[in-house]
Amino acid sequence: MADTTPILRIEHMTKRYGAKEVLKDASLSINRGELKVLIGPSGGGKSTLLQCINFLIKPDRGRIWLDGEEIVRAKGKALYDYRQKVGMIFQDFNLFDHLTALHNVEIGLLRVKGLSRNEARNRAVLELDRVGLTEYMHQYPAELSGGQKQRVSIARALAMDPEIMLLDEPTSALDPELISEVLDVIRTLRSNGMTMIMSTHHIGFASEVADELVFLEDGSIVEVGPPEKVLYRADYARTREFCSKITELYGNSSS
Amino acid sequence: MRELFFFQPDIVSALASGLWVSVQLIIPSALLGIIIGVTVGALRVYGNPLVKTIANGYVLVFRGFPLVVQLFIWYFGLPYIGIYLPAFVAAVIGFSLCSGAYQSEYVRGAFLSVKTGQTLAARALGFSQIKMILFVTLPQAFRRALPGCGNEIIYLIKYSSLAYMITCIELTGEGKIIASDSFRYTETFMVIGAIYLVLTSLAAWLLRRLEDRLHLPGFEQYG
Repeated sequence: MADTTPILRIEHMTKRYGAKEVLKDASLSINRGELKVLIGPSGGGKSTLLQCINFLIKPDRGRIWLDGEEIVRAKGKALYDYRQKVGMIFQDFNLFDHLTALHNVEIGLLRVKGLSRNEARNRAVLELDRVGLTEYMHQYPAELSGGQKQRVSIARALAMDPEIMLLDEPTSALDPELISEVLDVIRTLRSNGMTMIMSTHHIGFASEVADELVFLEDGSIVEVGPPEKVLYRADYARTREFCSKITELYGNSSS
Repeated sequence: MRELFFFQPDIVSALASGLWVSVQLIIPSALLGIIIGVTVGALRVYGNPLVKTIANGYVLVFRGFPLVVQLFIWYFGLPYIGIYLPAFVAAVIGFSLCSGAYQSEYVRGAFLSVKTGQTLAARALGFSQIKMILFVTLPQAFRRALPGCGNEIIYLIKYSSLAYMITCIELTGEGKIIASDSFRYTETFMVIGAIYLVLTSLAAWLLRRLEDRLHLPGFEQYG
């Protein structure tokens, strides 16, 4: 399913806050249709890496290529255009509180992509249908469950036609029984060929769907490899230690 | 006859014309105050350091100078540098700039109360800063600022009575003339006060209706 042209490539990404280097020389490349899962302890740099990829955090150093083209001037219109191609899902959903589910999906189409009201409406309805929320489209975020909010945020990102999606612990803020509805949506995205980089602690889910696991600790990419290797035959002791702990905790909650 | 004093045609017409001037002062000043308040409030939250400093300086000065002193400067001070403003215009400028400074404080607080995650989400979708403010944070901030902004408008209704100090004869000015002509200070100012009470009650009722109209789930209000 996955072809072998890197759709996104980052090299030597570095970010420092004062004396603390939160991201150290991280390099990563992902092919079209692949799903890479970032794992590692909290504070290890997973969120920073994801947010550096779409410049929500401005990296101190590093280069990014999307579809073979380097992003050189990350500001103004070039930046806004680039961000449309890189969808992002947050741990806390970050829906716009003053808008219904439908308007949350519509607003980017109207105000960023400049679609007409009709086009935007049709597309938003379609995307909400895809994540199974047709009957909730007129509800406000305050009236939705966590799982529903996260599915709206996925619909909102997909409506922009991104080339790649970044998912930053999309299930970490959810009640246990709501996790599976979000993971199901991600699984469907995966089988439809969406390229994704996702950080999660759901190691069971990760090993089921990921092409590769990326282990990050202290801001460094320690190890990259297929799930069965990273989980059971990792090269580094620290990776093995982390994976065995997390498998114990989350390994069986994949469905 | 004493009781009927305020029903004499010339008194009624003096009060009516004073009230009309007051209304003409209050409405544009309230609207301009809101516009200035929203703009300055946004600049104080989202501006670059230089813009922030300028906006903060504006608030410092216009909240810090007594309003009557500001009015004196606009009306009696500016002619020294060759600018002659009609009393009415000087009053509206003075009220708007003072009101805007206070409004910006309510608006600033309301912008800060919008969860930062939503600004991240907007930027991640490709919103520019200005679009993010207009379509994501301002609609929420405005709702949250409304009770405070309404409070400021009620204040404005009452401090519009300072306009007579710069010869713009509005309700209080007319009252002062009636009182000194008739020596009925107590009754006159009781009546004037009651008219302001009606104006502020009306404003409070309208603002409450606006709040109800703009109400959305998740933006709960109490009471």
